[in-house]
Amino acid sequence: MTSTNPVLRQQVKRVYKELLYMGREYPQGYDFFKTRLHKAFISQQHLSDEEEIKKRLQRADFVRKEIEALYYLKKYRSMRHRYDAF
Amino acid sequence: MFRTTLPRLARHLVYSAPRYQAPIARPIARSSLFQSTRITPTSTAFQAARCYSASAGLSHEEVQGRIMDLLKNFDKVQDVSKLNGESHFHNDLGLDSLDTVEVVMAIEEEFSIEIPDKEADAIHSIKQAVDYILAQPDAH
Repeated sequence: MTSTNPVLRQQVKRVYKELLYMGREYPQGYDFFKTRLHKAFISQQHLSDEEEIKKRLQRADFVRKEIEALYYLKKYRSMRHRYDAF
Repeated sequence: MFRTTLPRLARHLVYSAPRYQAPIARPIARSSLFQSTRITPTSTAFQAARCYSASAGLSHEEVQGRIMDLLKNFDKVQDVSKLNGESHFHNDLGLDSLDTVEVVMAIEEEFSIEIPDKEADAIHSIKQAVDYILAQPDAH
């Protein structure tokens, strides 16, 4: 996280912000999500290699997409439940 | 004929007249009969109304107070006693850079503006946040 490259630093912050916005609707609650997210980011604090950071950024983006998919799945399930009522 | 038109006219007048009407825009057809039912606007009522396009005109104290309240309720602030107008997020309040992102997000919501990443990066203390908000004309 403490990279000397300001562009990467900004990217990390942006993805963190995006993830925070995504986490608002998290099933287990925003606070649960927030603390876990913070822990996950802070655990990578020691990274200084740019390539390595870029790899983690890609992973963060992947997680963001996963959460989005989770929300779509949740929506799909609740819609289906309402129509089929099983 | 007069008997039927009068109530109709009265109804029409009451419904068509906006509640707070500028004196210039009053309808010309005025009768002493309706004067008692009409709400006469006072000058203070006009002062209270403002255009929504106008800037909110936030004062320095108000902005600072709102940001401080926001930080007071932020659970990661360790030492509330160190909270003042000059507090630095990292040095005084013990927030890391990720917490700062959260604080900036909260400030964005409080004042209903969007802070671009570059400017958000430069905000490290309450004073900087207050100055930034005051520089934004669309902050509320």
